Amino acid sequence: MNFASTQFVPSRRMGICEPLPQIGMWSDYKENNYLDTSTPAILEVDSRFDNQSEDTSHGIVEPSNKYDQEVSKTNDKQLRRLAQNREAARKCRLRKKAYVQQLENSKLRLMQLEQELERARQQGLYVGGGLDTGQLGYSRTTNPGIATFEMAYGHWVEEQNKKTADLRNALCSDITDLELSSFVDDGMNHYFDLFLMKETAAKADVFYLMSGMWETSAEHFLSWIGGFRPSELLKVLEPHLGPLTEKQSLELSNLKQSCQQAEDALSQGLERLHQILSETVADGLLGEGNYLPQINAALEKLKAMVRFVGQADHLRKETLLQISRNLNNRQAAQGLLALGEYFQRLRVLSSFWTSRPRESS
Amino acid sequence: MQQAIPYKDLLPAATTAANSGITKLVAENPVVVFARSGCCMCHVIKLLLQGHGVNPTIFDINEQNEAATIDEFSKIIDNPEEIADRPPPPFPTVFVGGNLLGGLDEVMAAHISGELVPLLRKAGALWL
Repeated sequence: MNFASTQFVPSRRMGICEPLPQIGMWSDYKENNYLDTSTPAILEVDSRFDNQSEDTSHGIVEPSNKYDQEVSKTNDKQLRRLAQNREAARKCRLRKKAYVQQLENSKLRLMQLEQELERARQQGLYVGGGLDTGQLGYSRTTNPGIATFEMAYGHWVEEQNKKTADLRNALCSDITDLELSSFVDDGMNHYFDLFLMKETAAKADVFYLMSGMWETSAEHFLSWIGGFRPSELLKVLEPHLGPLTEKQSLELSNLKQSCQQAEDALSQGLERLHQILSETVADGLLGEGNYLPQINAALEKLKAMVRFVGQADHLRKETLLQISRNLNNRQAAQGLLALGEYFQRLRVLSSFWTSRPRESS
Repeated sequence: MQQAIPYKDLLPAATTAANSGITKLVAENPVVVFARSGCCMCHVIKLLLQGHGVNPTIFDINEQNEAATIDEFSKIIDNPEEIADRPPPPFPTVFVGGNLLGGLDEVMAAHISGELVPLLRKAGALWL
């Protein structure tokens, strides 16, 4: 039905009521197909103002119409907003890209520095500060005992590599048993020298030894109380000693078990020390006055740490001695060679790990 | 696990070396450990010995009695320098079968070399 009369149609779009001349009901326009192709644009704009398209009750597109002017102004605003948004998003992406690039560069630089550090340490040069020196509470530069140890250890590793190579050549060559035995003694004594060095270093700073800062990362990962775990070592060596007699196999098996027991006893003793130290430090928390007595008591307990590292090294020494007692010279030499190669590989592994290419995040 | 006996209960007031409480204790008990109270190394020795099925007699020594104890040691053992030479403190100290075995070093060495078990058996600490 056609209503020619003027109607006041509340326009939610504008929030005002105004007469809409020459506009009939929506249904008429649908039927008569008065909507032309340009209307969709306007309808789109309209729909932002008003979700219900049924309310669109006109189809006239001329901008001269006051409503339409409003609409195209709003249209412009919208377009401008969209454009600004796009621009902002683009700039944000560029900033992010630059940041990631900077991070990648820093990572590369860090890797380079770590490699240099490792190289310098291996050469026995003193290098100031590890990556977490802050946790030590002091810089290694101020502890001469540790600086001495680092240098000496660097030389020790060089010597060790040389001895391993010499031993390899000796085993391949036609060598007398007596000469071989002197190689074995020399090799064993070299390890005992290290234990003596560590004993002195422990008195200078036992936590330096315990933290494994003197070892490469793979060695430290596998370590137990400041060095290799004797029972683990036996397992590594066993297949490389050549054929063993039944007696030797039995002795080795007993030795493995004894090592395990001794290690367990020391580990549990260390746990006990943890407990005691914790209790000593925590004694009288939230109390008034100074806590110096507790600190002093704790200092005394910490001294036990030095003894633990000493006992662990002592166990390593006794284990090496005991294996050599049960083996003939050739077997012992092979064992020492296997040991030397094993630690060499661990050091190489650590070096590769430090310089491996990192996946981009 | 036997109770740790405080040192002051051990020594009678006036004694001769031969009658000293420590000598008696060392002679009467197959495995005796003298240790400072709360020492973790003593804990390690105890665990090691218990692992062999031995229940050691443990004596707690506190600071005041340390010197006197060491003094007593030198009266019983043949070679007093053995104790004096050890790094201070010379505790824990272990006696097996009335004889001085040594400290943790010696106990560990005997354990690894396989000598500990025969020693314990001889002292009557083990029945297996």
